[in-house]
Parts: sequence; structure tokens; C-alpha cells
Amino acid sequence: MENIIFEIHNLDLYYGKFQALKNISLNIEKNKVTALIGPSGCGKSTFLRSLNRMNDLIDTCNIEGDVLYNSENVYNQKYDVINLRSKVGMVFQKPNPFPMSIYDNIAYGPRCQGVKDKKTLDTIVEKSLKSAALFDEVRNRLKESAMGLSGGQQQRLCIARAIAMEPEVILMDEPTSALDPIATLKIEELMNELKKEYTIVIVTHSMQQAARISDVTAFFLMGELIEVDETNKIFTQPKIKETEDYITGRFG
Amino acid sequence: MNALRSLKRSIRNYLRFNSVKEVIDFLVKSIFLLATLISSSFIIVIVVFISREGFIPFLTNNDGLGSVNLFSFLTGTIWLQGTAFASNLYSVGFIIVNTLYIAFLSLLVSMPIGVLTALFIAKIAPKRLAGFLRTVIEMLAAIPSIVYGLFGSGIVLVFVYNFAKIFGYQSKGGNSVLATVIVLSLMILPTITALSEVAIRSVRTDIEHGSLALGATKMQTNFKVVLTSAKSGIFTAAILGIGRALGEATAVSLVAGNARSGPTLNFLETTTTLTSTMLQGLKETIGIDYDIRFSVGLVLMVVILLTNAMLNFAKKKVGNVDVK
Amino acid sequence: MSNKRKRMDTLYRWMTYVASSIAVIVLSMIFIFVFKNGISLLNWDLIVNDYHAQFYNGGLPETVTFGTTVAPEDLDSNVYYSEKWGLALEDDLDREGNPMITVAFITADSPLHNINDKNNIDNEEFELNIGNVVTSIKFNDKPSALTVQGAENMIASLDASNDFREIVFSSLGGGIRGSLITTLYLIGITLALALPLGIFTAIYLNEFSKQNKITNLLRSMIEVLTGVPSIVFGLMGLAVFVPLTVRFTPADSANILSGSLTLAVILLPIIIRSTEESLKVVPDDFRNASLALGANNTQTTFKIVLPSALPGILTATLLAIGRIIGESAALIFAIGTAVKDDISIFGKSTSLAVHIWSLMTDEPANIELASTIALIILMIVLILNISVKLISKRFIRRFE
Repeated sequence: MENIIFEIHNLDLYYGKFQALKNISLNIEKNKVTALIGPSGCGKSTFLRSLNRMNDLIDTCNIEGDVLYNSENVYNQKYDVINLRSKVGMVFQKPNPFPMSIYDNIAYGPRCQGVKDKKTLDTIVEKSLKSAALFDEVRNRLKESAMGLSGGQQQRLCIARAIAMEPEVILMDEPTSALDPIATLKIEELMNELKKEYTIVIVTHSMQQAARISDVTAFFLMGELIEVDETNKIFTQPKIKETEDYITGRFG
Repeated sequence: MNALRSLKRSIRNYLRFNSVKEVIDFLVKSIFLLATLISSSFIIVIVVFISREGFIPFLTNNDGLGSVNLFSFLTGTIWLQGTAFASNLYSVGFIIVNTLYIAFLSLLVSMPIGVLTALFIAKIAPKRLAGFLRTVIEMLAAIPSIVYGLFGSGIVLVFVYNFAKIFGYQSKGGNSVLATVIVLSLMILPTITALSEVAIRSVRTDIEHGSLALGATKMQTNFKVVLTSAKSGIFTAAILGIGRALGEATAVSLVAGNARSGPTLNFLETTTTLTSTMLQGLKETIGIDYDIRFSVGLVLMVVILLTNAMLNFAKKKVGNVDVK
Repeated sequence: MSNKRKRMDTLYRWMTYVASSIAVIVLSMIFIFVFKNGISLLNWDLIVNDYHAQFYNGGLPETVTFGTTVAPEDLDSNVYYSEKWGLALEDDLDREGNPMITVAFITADSPLHNINDKNNIDNEEFELNIGNVVTSIKFNDKPSALTVQGAENMIASLDASNDFREIVFSSLGGGIRGSLITTLYLIGITLALALPLGIFTAIYLNEFSKQNKITNLLRSMIEVLTGVPSIVFGLMGLAVFVPLTVRFTPADSANILSGSLTLAVILLPIIIRSTEESLKVVPDDFRNASLALGANNTQTTFKIVLPSALPGILTATLLAIGRIIGESAALIFAIGTAVKDDISIFGKSTSLAVHIWSLMTDEPANIELASTIALIILMIVLILNISVKLISKRFIRRFE
């Protein structure tokens, strides 16, 4: 089990009385891209957010079961959630840069960790922007507001912001759904580069995207995990009928 | 001629009614329009009449006293040399400095308190406590300024007097820059808090989530991201706050001490503002000592306008570039 | 999470705690201060009494029949009674906190019912009454008994004599009846002026006008008024409304009408904005449905739109009343600072808030009475604000 980074056992999640996730068990492997697919409201985003405990921010949310990150249960009372989130980065559906300069956006995470040295920060910013394939486009306007970037650039900035924390895992919640096809293509290329160094878990509404970029695909339906397998197997010979129906476009 | 005829025709067309209902509609609409014109004309009335009275000391010879010199009026350091009604040597230069000094100091005191309170109400406090604090702020805003003045002369003056004593300083009953700043910052606190809270609450939650997902703590998120994002709204709060501080009259007149010369930069010395000068010793309703109050009012309006324009300009700079 | 970050977090959190507690502390301090200084004077007498005391000089008639009523047994320790004169006097403090001697009671057979007015022989209603302040009693054969010597001395001196030359007494002044009535007048007249003007303007801007540059200009000209400090409104009242009322009414100086006109201008933007906001909430479907049934614009406005806007107008009215009661700077110029007891719309007088200002700028300042008035103002303003909250809670979500 050396290369398993997340182990999820019997995870149940409730919003008030509504059960959003039902008895999910899943292993997520290191340095692979895992895609979560399924129709809207199937719980795939909720599941993604339970990995870095972003669901904590919803008052009515209740969780049972275990999520082990590097063999430690993140829902343990004493678990340091701040540390978890700095190791498990996240990119959101809509780009959400802070209303600061590009430089400050990237330096934000490290600064929160207490990094103050100007040179260290400079290096981090440059490296992160390069990894996110954004550096060449913005190298001359690092001190300008991030709000002036295009949607695709903003999303890559958000990825760079996540990378700056040197995380092990990057969670992506439909990162291209608000972008045009060309920007989407750039992000997908970027993901292909990133998976060499990082573990990526991506929620996507597009099966083509899942097929193009992921190694493993998990299919969710009505809060349940229906099937999980290597991507090419899921898309060519799904074992379960609902998966096949969804992939062939009979519903969703 | 042609133009006149076509005008006549268009008026006739306009006034052609097909039914009683249309006549009533027209009449009612005219009455409402008249009301609107009256309502919107008051700002012009204010400017015209205050200017008319305010320019008298500079343009007439004031019943033989000679006209007031505009330059020395705007730059001088003594309010009145000689006796009232017997001298034309009025100046408000030092009062302008005092007024701006006091208003900005009050903002300096009130801003951090107000913004932190707003942050606490909007993001940190449990729901019930937040509701309670909101009510407290609303009540502070509802208290009339004369009551702040009363509170100022009953409590703040005593406090300042004793505070000055500690430093071996004999203040004039506590009337001072410090007392004025304390009273004014209390008065603008509810304005700043309420508006900042609105600004903070309207920050998009996904920006906050972005920060939390990077491993920032709740407090780091609040102070570094939420406040930065609410910057423009908070700036608006400051502009309104300073507007209120500049124009506040009765409360200030009870604690400033009405210094006749200046400017006063020392915290424990008596001072005077444009508004408190206007309220000071109004006895006659004719003559130079009466007219000069309108000139001071005119100066006050210009000071408020310029300050607003300046701060709005600064806000645009800060708001657009978004660089810290 | 490192210890340093935890410490910073705690520091930040405490900063917000401290800041928030300042608002609470200040509010409590204001209330405690006003309450502590003001409550002792707050009673019905204060509200119905005149501000200016009436002074009387009384003399004895030729023949005096002394009383025989025995002192009641439950006399307070600071009340002194003279059986002969049927008079009980009491040591007390006046509204400035100075000692005074008041009449605690006077028996039915007291000779003091039959004193005559030394200033005006014909005054029939001349009588010493309970609550009157006795300043001095002047005797023919010995030094006068004065307030500073206390009630005990005054009674003892009276008991020892069979007549006196003069008794100087006065009604208890310092009441706020005049200022209260002026404030009520101001509320009534101002609302009568500002409400129709404001509501009509709001209806025009929201229902009739085309949304073009001119409408926007008119709207922003009204909006600008909110930023004008109230003392500037006061100057306008002094320069425009005072001369206007002096010219066209019996008034000869600043008066209630000029004050009301000034207040009406101050309130206009508040009323217009509040009414407009409640008009905006009325869905267009209502208007279209009414128009489609053959109603004209006027009928639609008065029958459909305006009733829906009533809660907003009510809110505006309550806020306006609060503002009128609290307004001081503008009224100092527009109505003046003279405290009066006989109130006429065209005469001098002053509102409760300006009454406070007069008391505070007097030498020496009368903080007690000022606090009592402030207490009354605060209570009214708070009740108004609570009402506004209740109204908006009930009505605000009607169309959502």
C-alpha cells in the first residue's frame, strides 16, 4: 500500500437530514490523476471537499467514517486541519484570485506559513508561475492586480497559487467549467505536466476530459460510488450497467 | 416664425386629451413634477443664499468698517482682532487647519475600531452576539448629537482634565483637541462600523474558501483576504465618516473650548472648528458678525467638497490597482 | 500549526473582541450617565411645569386669625411645621442642585391663605400653594429668614412672630412644558410639509418620469442634500425661511414655522429615498395588471402602488420624527435658543434638543436638567427605532 495517499473507508456525509454521500470506500493512488464523474448532484464535489475538510465550513454538515491521509485519519479530533489544507491544495470551479497583485496572490500561502524572506518568496513565485505555464505571460506585470487577467489566466494563477504551497495533492473542482475551449485546453495540458509531480483528484462534468487526462475514473450516482477502475477500462468495458448508461449518454 | 408655430402645435398636441381620465392623469403628473422640482431645487437655494450672505463681508464695506480681506480671511491665525461689530479683521485660516486636523485624527481613531468591530460582527461572532452588536451600533447611530455633546461635557471633559493633570498640565476644564477627537470618533464609529460590515459581508465566499484551502487560518483569511477584498467599501465608510466629522456642530461646540486663535496641534489645548465658530456667540441678526457666519459656512462647504473629492480620487487609485 | 501562528491568531481574535466591546462600553456609559444624572429630576411636574418661575411678594392683611391645626405625627425629618401659621416647610434641592425651601403642605385654616399681592392689589388668585418655593420672609422687628438658613430656622422665626412684612415666594420653574410643546408643533408642521412633498417626489421619480439624464440629475440633486451638514441647513433657514416667515406672517424673528420649514428640507431626502425604496419593491406585474384593466396611471399609483408602499412611508415617518426630536445644530439658527413658556407658531421658543444646548452653554451648565431632557429624548428615539425594526421585519419580505 506504499503508493496509496488517500484511503477512504465507509464515508457517510449528511447535510442536515439529507444524506449526500453513502458508504463510500475508495483508495486514491499517488502521482496519478483520479477523475470523479457523475451527473449533477451525485456527490462528487462533496466527496472532493471532504478530502481537505472544506465541508467543515458548512454548519449543517455531518460526517461519519474515515478519511486516511498518509495513514492518518483527518477527521480525528486532534488532526491539524490547517496543515492538511497546506498539503492538499485545491482549485475551484470559478477562478477566485484574491484582489491583490499577481505576486501577492502566489506569495499568500507561503506568507501565511510564516515565510518572510523576500528572496525565498521571489523564487517560490517564479517557480510556481513557471510550473503553471503562466510566467511568460505575466513576468512583466507581477505587481499588477490579478483581477486584470483573463479567466483562463486567473485559473492558472489559482493553480500556481496552490503549487506555491508545494502540496502533495491538488484537488480540482470542475476547474474548466467556467472557461472557453482554448483556455480549457491549456489547463488540460498543464494537468498532464503536473501529474508527474503531484497527485491530482479532479471532478469533471465532461467525460471527454476525464478520458483525456485521468488514469483512474470513479463514477458517482445519487451519493453512491458505483464503479471505480482504470480510465480506459471504465470507458471501454464498464462492469456495471449504470456506468455504461451514463457513459453512453443515456442519462445525465 | 416656423419654429414658433411648430412649438405651438406640439404643445397643442401634448395638451389634447381624449378623456377625463387623461386630464386627471396630466394634472396629477404636473403636481408630482412640481413637487419634484421643488425638492430638487433646495440644494440650489442653499448654495445661492448662503453664498449671497457669505460674500457680503468681502464685497461691501460693512457699514463703514471696510471689506474683509479674502486672503487674510483664509490664511489668518486669529478669529477676530478687536471687538465684534467694530472690526473687519476676521480670519478662519487656523480654523480650517484645526477642523481638518481634528476630523482626520477622529477617523484615525475610529477606523481601526470600526473595521475590527465590523469584522467581528460579520465573520467571527456567533449569530446572536452579532445581532446584539448590530443593535448596539444602530442605537449608537440613533443617539442625537446633542446627547453626545452632553456625554462629552459630562464624562469626556472630566476624563481629559484628570488625564492632563497626570502630566502636570492644567487644561481649561478639559476642553481640548483630545476631548473633541474622542467625542467625534465615538460619533462616527456607528457609521464606519455599519458600512464596513456591509462591505465585509459582500465579499464573495469563494475568495475566502480559496484562502482556507491554501492552509490559511480563519483569522489570516479574515485579516488578509476579507479586509483586502472589502477595501473599496471600507473606504466609502471612511469618506462618509469624515463627512460627518467635518460637519458635526453642537457636540463639538460643547467640548472644543472655542479657542480664538491657533492652529492648535497640542492635544490638551483648546481648539475650535468651523462649525463651533458658527455657533459661538450669535447675538445679532444683522451686521458683519452675523454675515461672517455665512462666510464660515461657505468655507465649511468648500472644505467638505474638497475633502470628498480628494478621498474619492484616492479611493479610485486604491480600488483600481489593488496592489498593497 | 506552529505556535507562532496560533499566537498571532489569538492576538488577531482578541483585537476584534476589544474593538467590539468598545461600542458596547460607550453605549452603556452614555445610558448610565444620562440615567444617573437625569432620573432624579424626571417626574410629571417637570414635564408640565413652566421653565421660568413666577415670583410673588405677599403681605399680611390688617387682621390675622391664627390656625390651630396640630402637627401630624408622621412628619418627615426634613419637614418643619408651624401650628400658628398652619405651614409646613421642607428643605429641598432645586434643578441646579442648590438648596431651596418648598411648601410641603398648608392647612385649611392657615392665615397664609389670605395674603395679598404687594405688586398687584387686584390679583384674586393670589395664594401660597403646595410646591411653591419660599425665598425669604422679611420681618419688621428682626432680620429676614433666608433660604440659606434652612427650613427649620424659617419656621422658628415665623413661630416667634405674630406678623411679617413680606413673604417672597415663587412657583417652581425649570419645567420643560414649553420646549415639549414646541417639539410637538415642530413634528406636526414639519411632517405636514415634508411628507406630501417627499412622497409626491418619490412617486414622480419612480412611477412617472422617464429614466433619462434629467431624471438622474434631479435625483442626484436631492441625494446631495444627505451630505450637507445640518448646521448648513440652519444657515439656510436663517437666510431664507426666517425672513420669509417674518414677511408673510405675524412673526418678527425666528419662529416655529421657520424651524419646521428648515427641518422639512433636512428630512426630504430621507423620506424620498425610503418611499422610493418601498415603491421599487412593488412588482411591475401589479402595475401592468392594473393598467391592463383600464386604470390610468393616477389610479394605478393611488390604488395599487401607494398602498403597497405604506410600510416604507411609515418607516420614513418614524425616522423623521426621531430626526426632528434629535436635531440641534440646524434649529439653533432656524428657531433660536430662547426657552419660552407661552408657545405660538409665530413666536420664539425652542425644541427639547436645543433646550439641552441652552442649558449646557449657560454659566454654570445645568447638567442635571440637561440629562433629564436627554433621557426623555433617548427614550423616544429608542422606541421609534424599535418600532421601525418591527415594521420592517413584518413587511419587508411581502413581495419576495
